[in-house]
Amino acid sequence: MTTLIDNTQKPIDVEFLAQEDKVHRSLYTDPAVFALEMERVWERSWIYVGHESQVQEPGQYYATTIGRQPVIMTRHTDGEVYVLFNRCAHKGAQLVGDECGKVKELRCCYHGWRFHLDGSLLSIPLEQGYDGTDFSRGSKEADIQKVPRYGTYRGFVFASLSPDGPNLETWLSGVASSIDNMVDRAPDGELEITGGVLRYEHDCNWKFFIENLNDLMHPMVTHQSSSLTARSVAKRSLGDEPAPAAIEIISPFTESYSFFDEMGLHAFDYGHGYSGGKTSIHAKYSDVPEYNAAMEKAYGKEKVDEIFAVNRHNTVFYPSATIKGAIQTMRVVKPVAVDRTIIESWTFRLKGAPDELLRRSILYCNLINSSANLVGPDDQEAYRRQQIGLGSEGADWVLMHRDFGRDEDLGDGHVYAKGSSDLAFRNQYRAWKMYMSQGAA
Amino acid sequence: MSAEDLAFYHRVSQFLFQEARLLDEQRWADWNSLFTDDGVYWAPATPDQPDPLHHVSLMYEDRLLRDVRIARFKSPAAYSLQPFPRTSHLISNIMIDVRDGDMLEVSSRFQMTEYRRDKPSFYSGGYRHQLVEENDSFKIREKKAVLVNCDGAHESSSVYF
Repeated sequence: MTTLIDNTQKPIDVEFLAQEDKVHRSLYTDPAVFALEMERVWERSWIYVGHESQVQEPGQYYATTIGRQPVIMTRHTDGEVYVLFNRCAHKGAQLVGDECGKVKELRCCYHGWRFHLDGSLLSIPLEQGYDGTDFSRGSKEADIQKVPRYGTYRGFVFASLSPDGPNLETWLSGVASSIDNMVDRAPDGELEITGGVLRYEHDCNWKFFIENLNDLMHPMVTHQSSSLTARSVAKRSLGDEPAPAAIEIISPFTESYSFFDEMGLHAFDYGHGYSGGKTSIHAKYSDVPEYNAAMEKAYGKEKVDEIFAVNRHNTVFYPSATIKGAIQTMRVVKPVAVDRTIIESWTFRLKGAPDELLRRSILYCNLINSSANLVGPDDQEAYRRQQIGLGSEGADWVLMHRDFGRDEDLGDGHVYAKGSSDLAFRNQYRAWKMYMSQGAA
Repeated sequence: MSAEDLAFYHRVSQFLFQEARLLDEQRWADWNSLFTDDGVYWAPATPDQPDPLHHVSLMYEDRLLRDVRIARFKSPAAYSLQPFPRTSHLISNIMIDVRDGDMLEVSSRFQMTEYRRDKPSFYSGGYRHQLVEENDSFKIREKKAVLVNCDGAHESSSVYF
């Protein structure tokens, strides 16, 4: 018998869809690919959960997601941070309905089961009803389940929903130095998340965003309307007066091709990477003498010179997070659907640094990361047009050939290319393919 | 309320309506000239955000940044603004909360529809205007627009609430 409609599920051929120098358009448009990504990339890789400073005191919690699954980061009375599934052990209701708070215990809103903040069972109403049944206090199913693996690197909490895979240290090794550099920029050697969060909804696939962070061939094209405008308005309004921080922040987005080329790209295993290093679009911000003095007092001039000599643009912890150490901000990727993604923007205070540093980081987020910002809407527009354009059957492939085969191997999994290379994309898809292939039939 | 108070209330209301009209008619330079030299526009990111400097905002703009945003509106390279969105602002529940010499604090509620590329978006919330009485009119020292969902996730929006 023949049917007019073919409803058979086509298998997702990862090897074919993600080739070394091009990827298939369905990676961005096919809901089945998105569903498989959630399972194989997002629920396998280490995912950024939050920062320890969000749960500074015992009893504090912060609710978030890993891929599609609700989790809570807590601080228990033992002083430790835990990452638990946000699900009651009894009938599965979310234990925490809001984003953050401080409690003595986690109490389910449905049947009143109570748990400690490490997930262990505290009490059940009329508990004797379970006597002689298969349920017993002390068994694993009586507690809130911990996520299979979680760990902290210098205050940054990551978790993996897979019990197997590289440990956090190995997974992070290529880009841990970017976290180090951000933390080292604090005279007291510690960061604190502060100043709230911005949530920016993008009507596009999550990969457009994470690719764009180290796409150094787009700023001088996409950001003309903000960066060139800021330069000309500042010149007209201020003449030769020094430009305020806002103008220093917006102007460099239209630096030349050679500037971005020299920033360079660094790629590592698991899809991680960063651009910049010796210089970046953040390198020419005005000095804050009080801050430099506090740093020198804390570390000595030689070490401070070393810390400030590292000036990176975006560091990607593939697939979920990206930081800017030089301006102490972080963006977190939350995929919602194949064509919908929320980007959270967080700000860090450098402990021991003067107030001006935090104010500059806040200003940066307002100007670049808010949904009403002056720069990002044109990025978002480019992603949106890709999302629509790739719906066409005009051609199947997204091209990533630039400088293919011309990467420089620096050893230990560290690969370098000039800024205009497509290295960052190829490297992300190398990891994507690895995650997507594991466990494939 | 005395006849004088009513007349004053009417003037304040007319000023707010005129401000909204300039936005809807895209007369940006005229709108910007309503602000004092040190006047700011502020769209906070939390409902009771006390501080625009140590907490992120959707927008916090002095004259220079408003000049940049408005100049960008006209840039042929502002791809996300093509075609340019149209807006309709409605203002109601106007109350003069403080009148102290030539200084005023006025609260109101607003609804703004933004229409961009086949898609209407709806924003609503409260305004708080800090006004300075000047000659027969007012200048804006601060316009604060607090969306009811200011702490939620938002799609791109470049125009002023």
